[in-house]
Amino acid sequence: MLAPTIAILGIFGIVPFLYVLYVAFHQWNPFGANPYMIYNGAGNFRRLVFDSEFLTSIAFTLKFAFFAVFSEVILGYLLAQLFMREFPGRAFFRTIHTLPLIVAPIVVGSVWRLMTTPSIGIIPYLLKSWFGYDLNIGRDATMAFALTVIMDIWHWTPLVTLTLLAALVSLPKEPFEQAQIDGANRWQIFWHVTLPMIRPAILATVFIRLMDALRTVDEVWMLTGGGPGAATRYLGLHIWKIVFPKTDYGYGSATSIIVLYLTLVMCWLLYVALVARRGQRRTP
Amino acid sequence: MKHELGMSLAALAVGLMTSVIPAKADFWSDAGAKYKGVTLHGVTESTPPSNYIKDVLAPAFEKSTGIKVEIETTSWDQMYDKAIKDMEAKTGIYDMVYIEQDIIYAYLARDFLVDITKSLKDDPSLKAPVYDETHFTTFANYFKNGDGDLFGIPMEAFIKLYLYRTDLFNDAAVKEAFKKETGKDLVPAKTHEEYTQIAEFFTKWGKDNSKELWGTTAQAHTGHPASWYEFFESVAPTFGVYNWGIDASKNYAASVANGGAMNSDKAKAALKYWLHLRDIAPPESQASTWTEVATTFAAGRAAQGLVYGENAAWIASDAEKSKVVGNVGVALPPVEPGVMEDAESGKGYIGYYDGGAFGLPVTSKNKEAALLFLQYIGQDSVQGDWAVAAPRITNTATYDDPKVIEMDKKLNGYYTMLKNDGKLFAGAPPYPFHAQVREATAPIFYKILLGEVSSDDGLDQMAAAAEAELKNLGYRK
Repeated sequence: MLAPTIAILGIFGIVPFLYVLYVAFHQWNPFGANPYMIYNGAGNFRRLVFDSEFLTSIAFTLKFAFFAVFSEVILGYLLAQLFMREFPGRAFFRTIHTLPLIVAPIVVGSVWRLMTTPSIGIIPYLLKSWFGYDLNIGRDATMAFALTVIMDIWHWTPLVTLTLLAALVSLPKEPFEQAQIDGANRWQIFWHVTLPMIRPAILATVFIRLMDALRTVDEVWMLTGGGPGAATRYLGLHIWKIVFPKTDYGYGSATSIIVLYLTLVMCWLLYVALVARRGQRRTP
Repeated sequence: MKHELGMSLAALAVGLMTSVIPAKADFWSDAGAKYKGVTLHGVTESTPPSNYIKDVLAPAFEKSTGIKVEIETTSWDQMYDKAIKDMEAKTGIYDMVYIEQDIIYAYLARDFLVDITKSLKDDPSLKAPVYDETHFTTFANYFKNGDGDLFGIPMEAFIKLYLYRTDLFNDAAVKEAFKKETGKDLVPAKTHEEYTQIAEFFTKWGKDNSKELWGTTAQAHTGHPASWYEFFESVAPTFGVYNWGIDASKNYAASVANGGAMNSDKAKAALKYWLHLRDIAPPESQASTWTEVATTFAAGRAAQGLVYGENAAWIASDAEKSKVVGNVGVALPPVEPGVMEDAESGKGYIGYYDGGAFGLPVTSKNKEAALLFLQYIGQDSVQGDWAVAAPRITNTATYDDPKVIEMDKKLNGYYTMLKNDGKLFAGAPPYPFHAQVREATAPIFYKILLGEVSSDDGLDQMAAAAEAELKNLGYRK
């Protein structure tokens, strides 16, 4: 019964992973003087440790992932709470707020680029007219970084909202009624009742968004090209540049493996911090 | 009566003969009959010449031969990504791939492409009578191997030229103001000093008169290779730094210490000159690639600039997209003393001769049908309309086409310049490691643009990074 699933997993998951792992131990650039694979031992991994561009890229990516995912969870939760309430046009707003989700990332990047191009885009125009602020993402690394975060939030907050809305809708009423009878205020209800009950949904959402944020490429590539300088050259884009324009397949594969490892470690740490430790505390 | 009867009989005979003998079709339908039902797939960059192939030539070829052609036009990066992956993995998805002039050496080194000359010699039945390799301009030489065999049908070729606004340069009040400010007549610059002076004047003049006008364009994106290319292919050569400052004959040296010129005094002067222009260019310049530079000029935001020729036609003639229609002049880029002499003698060049060809991957599953299509787009008869739709000329006869002559007038002599002065420009250097060296050095270049490192130190670092990459690739021993 499981054979088709295992076959699909093997073909599309395990075999490519093993191939990437194999290539990671080779020096292979098809446009090098020797275009064939040469066994390189751990040379590519050793090179990574001293690669300042890679290390900078990790730092920028972690910063990006933290700000983007944290903001999306907070905003997503607030929006989910809002959509739990009755107000005129709720169904309309529930539908319309998911629209960014159906836009392809490359299109999102293009639209944001159009909106932010100095002298042409609406955002620099409004910032200049209203606040006298000169937005130039080709020059201002901080603003370029901030814009990539804002773009990600705009694109992916609806996903968080939908997930948390589904979790909130499915919660039983009794614990909330009991808490109210016991005299708990809003904050206490949120902290001691709502949050623990939707923790699995939050955790799943954070995992999904974190993994996505760590490998983001197309949106950022369209908006900033990784610039100015390397300010938005996040890991996904960094690997893309190594593997495609530079065609350094061996080194790119090694980088991918390390990034996969980092992602797993981060998710595990998060899991331990949010779930496992709490579980242990409850054990008598 | 007899005469009339004879005429009638003759007409009857001719009528009978034409109805009995099958019609002799033209070469394209005869040759295409064998491949009817085949669908060819091509991938190319989304540029005006490529779009013409997709929208006009591919349907016309299908009508003539019955062979369907699907052309995928995409971004520059994606185009390479898809083509290289297909040829590397030998999947055979594409029957035609766009070969930009700077990638041909890498493709030839990997034996990715079919030898078109040899293939047509080996199977004369595929050779179209209207196709002749000798009809191409000398730009075709970039797509030949050492034996002179052609590996790509040239489909676009243009120079990166100096555009200027004729309405501004001919305006009496502006001319007077320029004369008052500089003591010189306002004419297109021939030297860097003159160009800078004009750029500074117009940026100040725009500011003083509250106009959205700056003195020059600058393709100075801080995270896209377009800025790297503008410097190494359009600016550095005008200071006498050729082939990116890498000398293949000296063990691929890039640094001055080893015999290269990437961090030479000339290169450093060139970079300082260009960075100054960037500073007085429109604010969008730091986020501009080649596309945005053309848009900036077309929007009337720059008085002069170096613009890729592929955009010259629409800037000069398409009123729906351009605000400067009828006001575009063309000139040769400004140079340092001695550079023009170098270019005329073949020792150097004054700018970038850009272009590309359509090649046939060895992994294609429809080589014969693809060879027919490649000849179709290479024949003289399709070139005139193509050159008018997109300013590219690859066949010598196209220069004499009445439509092209007419268009040349609208473009203030762009085609004439291409014909007469094209020899002063050069394509990318014949290195099989373009993207690799570019990507190894570009991060430092972006740091220079951001002021994180000085231009002098940055070029020193770039030369060292280029040599390290060339060593890593196995070219530098």
